[in-house]
Amino acid sequence: MGKNQNGENLGSDGGNEKGNPDEFSSESGSKFDHVLKDVDRFIEKLDSGENEFTYIDQFLEMVDSEIGIYENREASAKFGLNMEEDDSFFEAVKRLSTIISKLEEFPSDSGVTSCLNRAGSLHHRAMLLSENEFRVLVDNPNHAVDVNTDGYEDELKSKAEEEFICFSPESLAIMNRIASTMIFAGCEAECCIAYSGYRLKALDVELSKLSFENINVDDAEKMSWESLEVEIGNWINITKHFTDNIFSGERKLCNSVFSEHPSIAQRVFCELATPLATRLLNFLNAIVLPRQYSAEKLFKFLDIYEALHDLNNLELGDYLSAKEFMSETSMVQCRIGETVVSIFSQLENSIKSDNAGRIPVAGGAVHPLTRYTMNYLKYACEYKDTLEQVFRKHDEMEGLTVEKAPENDIEQDDRCLPTSPFALKLMEVMDSLDDNIEMKSKLYRSPALCYIFLMNNGRYILQKIKESEISDMLGHSWSRKRTSDLRRYHKLYQRETWSNVLQTISHEGVQVNGKVSKTIVKDRFKNFNALFDEILKTQSTWLVSDGQLKSELRVSISSVMIPAYRSFVARFQSHFDNSKQAGKYIKYQPEDIEELIEQLFEGNTTSMNRR
Amino acid sequence: MTGTDNQSSFLGRISIRRNQVNAMDGSHEQEIEDLDVFQKQVSDRFADLLSAPDDSPADAFLSISWIRKLLDVFLSCEAESKGMLLMGCDAAQISKSPLDRLIPEILDRVVKALDICNAVANGLELVRHCQRLAEIAVLALEQKPFGEGPARRAKKALVSLMLAMHLDDKESSVQKTTERSWSFGRRGGNKDRPPFGHYKSLSWQVAKNWSAAKQIHAMTMNVVPPRGPEASGLPSLVFIMNLIMVFVMWVLITAIPCQERNGLTTHLPIPKNVNWTQSLAGLHDKIGDEWKKKEKKGMAGLLFELQKMEKLGQSLIEFTDSFQYPGEKDKAEEAAKQVAELAEVCRRMEEGLVPLQMLTREVFHRLVKSRNEILDLLDQTAKSSSPVV
Repeated sequence: MGKNQNGENLGSDGGNEKGNPDEFSSESGSKFDHVLKDVDRFIEKLDSGENEFTYIDQFLEMVDSEIGIYENREASAKFGLNMEEDDSFFEAVKRLSTIISKLEEFPSDSGVTSCLNRAGSLHHRAMLLSENEFRVLVDNPNHAVDVNTDGYEDELKSKAEEEFICFSPESLAIMNRIASTMIFAGCEAECCIAYSGYRLKALDVELSKLSFENINVDDAEKMSWESLEVEIGNWINITKHFTDNIFSGERKLCNSVFSEHPSIAQRVFCELATPLATRLLNFLNAIVLPRQYSAEKLFKFLDIYEALHDLNNLELGDYLSAKEFMSETSMVQCRIGETVVSIFSQLENSIKSDNAGRIPVAGGAVHPLTRYTMNYLKYACEYKDTLEQVFRKHDEMEGLTVEKAPENDIEQDDRCLPTSPFALKLMEVMDSLDDNIEMKSKLYRSPALCYIFLMNNGRYILQKIKESEISDMLGHSWSRKRTSDLRRYHKLYQRETWSNVLQTISHEGVQVNGKVSKTIVKDRFKNFNALFDEILKTQSTWLVSDGQLKSELRVSISSVMIPAYRSFVARFQSHFDNSKQAGKYIKYQPEDIEELIEQLFEGNTTSMNRR
Repeated sequence: MTGTDNQSSFLGRISIRRNQVNAMDGSHEQEIEDLDVFQKQVSDRFADLLSAPDDSPADAFLSISWIRKLLDVFLSCEAESKGMLLMGCDAAQISKSPLDRLIPEILDRVVKALDICNAVANGLELVRHCQRLAEIAVLALEQKPFGEGPARRAKKALVSLMLAMHLDDKESSVQKTTERSWSFGRRGGNKDRPPFGHYKSLSWQVAKNWSAAKQIHAMTMNVVPPRGPEASGLPSLVFIMNLIMVFVMWVLITAIPCQERNGLTTHLPIPKNVNWTQSLAGLHDKIGDEWKKKEKKGMAGLLFELQKMEKLGQSLIEFTDSFQYPGEKDKAEEAAKQVAELAEVCRRMEEGLVPLQMLTREVFHRLVKSRNEILDLLDQTAKSSSPVV
């Protein structure tokens, strides 16, 4: 400790007054400051061309012993015991660097070079001890946590687990100081290598904790979808965690440790984040090999796409490696996008190929395909923005011009929306669904049931559109057209089913030669009853699941039928001989009609004949 | 880019000639002729690579720029052969033997090659790290006047360098020597080797139990030249594609540090006594011999720059180890020469590593694309769908 390494005695003063080896008394401290001032003056003199090595030797002796003190201290506790002491140390090291670089400019004679040699050795020792201490500190964040010991160990542990990066302010300060000094002293490379190495290790441990493992392309190809899905879900969570929390934490840490050198902080962050992000990206490279993915897989890939978006937005800087990473991410994102497009396109195919035999859905109810498609689209449109992006990109790549809408879909509207590629695709799917529904409606022998079917499915579609983002994409006029279609079907149904019935209770044609014909009245009632019974029997088994539609139908039937029946009954019931005869023919009272209409469209399957 | 230029002109020539031949039988002869031309091209390109000087400032054999050339050659051969395959394949042939077996096999090999590309990208990061350590050593060694401080700094960096280059050798004798005699004051008796600045260099983005040696071995299975009536036309083309791909992947693994190369084969199924394979065989033998020689001693890879770094590094460690101020003039001069060489190696790495990394990624993506195209072809012609997942 404190030995002159060259064996040469350069100058005046031999040893100095040394205090207790393990303590740096304030007396020595002020003497040290004094020496530092002398050194500063010496440096000035060097600059001005005068040669005086007297001060240097004294200074080197002090630095030598000081380094020795720090070398002998236990690792991880070298700094932080005494702020002033540490300050002196770092300042001394910086002075040492400055002296060395000044002396190097001198013509080499033995005086200079042997002085330089000693200074250089000391410099290296200082750097070595600093670097080693730096390593220890970076490697053990939990160790360095100096929490206000209200301390249950478990609480500490869980806190450490929560906050991935858990350096105490004291450790950070020391690391910062070491880094600045090393950089000043020309050892930036060692410092950055040490820092990156240990942070990468910490990040790797974090990934392992989250059960992330590298996967071979070879193995991924052979995995079952079930296993792959689990891995993908895990990947999405991990990536989100990293982009939301970890990367920003690391960036802050870099900025803290290298606070005096923002460009270095930026570069070091890039050198950390890029390998880590690349490792995450590689997982996707392994799995995005073409397979036919079925329709439900869409949402997983959309999640992946969105996670990639965040990964792509990491501000890594202008470095070549960063640019490489970004272009790689874009490529992968593109591939995922293409997968999304191909999966989504399958929807249309499966709609078109759904013939479901020649057997129509019982009771004219909403077809399972309608339900599936609309729920699928509703869920998909929760990813509306991402899907817009994906389809736009796809069209660009295919060289298609964007924003070209079929003419009948654009209207001068208060909400005239530009039709994006995804919206157009959506319209295509809806059109296919419409065609399919129409085709299926023709399977019904009864035209009335056909209209009920059309109304049921149309209503369901409109409902789903309203409750989701789909309405925004398709536009106002599209919905309006649907609504008017529904009204049309309603009218058609009404006419088809009830016009004949209405005819039986029409006031016209009851009179013969100006007098009410009892026969005709009897016939009329008979026919009414028969028709009404038939309708009741049949159409009670039909199903309208939408409450509002059901009530609309019933209300519109009632509002026509009941007044008409009531007035017919009122007008003609007196023409029966007696109440017994009346009772035979007038099966229903107007109130009965009202009640029975309420039974329509309940889907009661007690009746056999469902046409 | 030369790759695509060659491809377009080559394919252009084929298609023109295709159009000129109108006999049905003629198309088979056409295939044979195309294949001959292609084989000659392959032979020429690899002969070019074989003729590289063993030690030169720029394009030495197995240097970074040589490897870049190799990958360029691979990309153009790949493009041309794939083009021929896609053009020449029709539904009838694909569903019959031997193509019904050969095509899925080559796709499987492509997948394995992708893993190798990833491992190589991983290894190149390690090489980059070596570059950084060497640069520290150069910085220290170039200090004037030189002293014991810089000497120790250089030695520390060089020792880290040696260790980094031998990280995949578990039983390497070099490693043991290093740890024993060149300790530099770390906590003694530490079972966990302190990471020398580059954490998990070889397995960072490679699966845990992956082995480069096993991967190559798996890729070489069933790579046999087609015989008999199958010996011309598409089966031959597929054989050439397989051979080139396996060869190039093998070279990469020998040159760049990769996880688990113990037992790497030095015997690829390159047919002897065939005209066009001679340059390929020559390269294979030369590299294989080098590998066998160096494998026993343990080493990072045959990459010219790494080998140079190792040699210079060892020598400079001795220099710094024995340095005592003020040092001996002739030793210093010798060292200065070596430092200048090391600096030159670092410069070449600085210039060429990132382009090489980018080229490796390009190879990766090209392989993915080609695989997709072939799968599309299979889907269309055979109308068989891969099982919907």
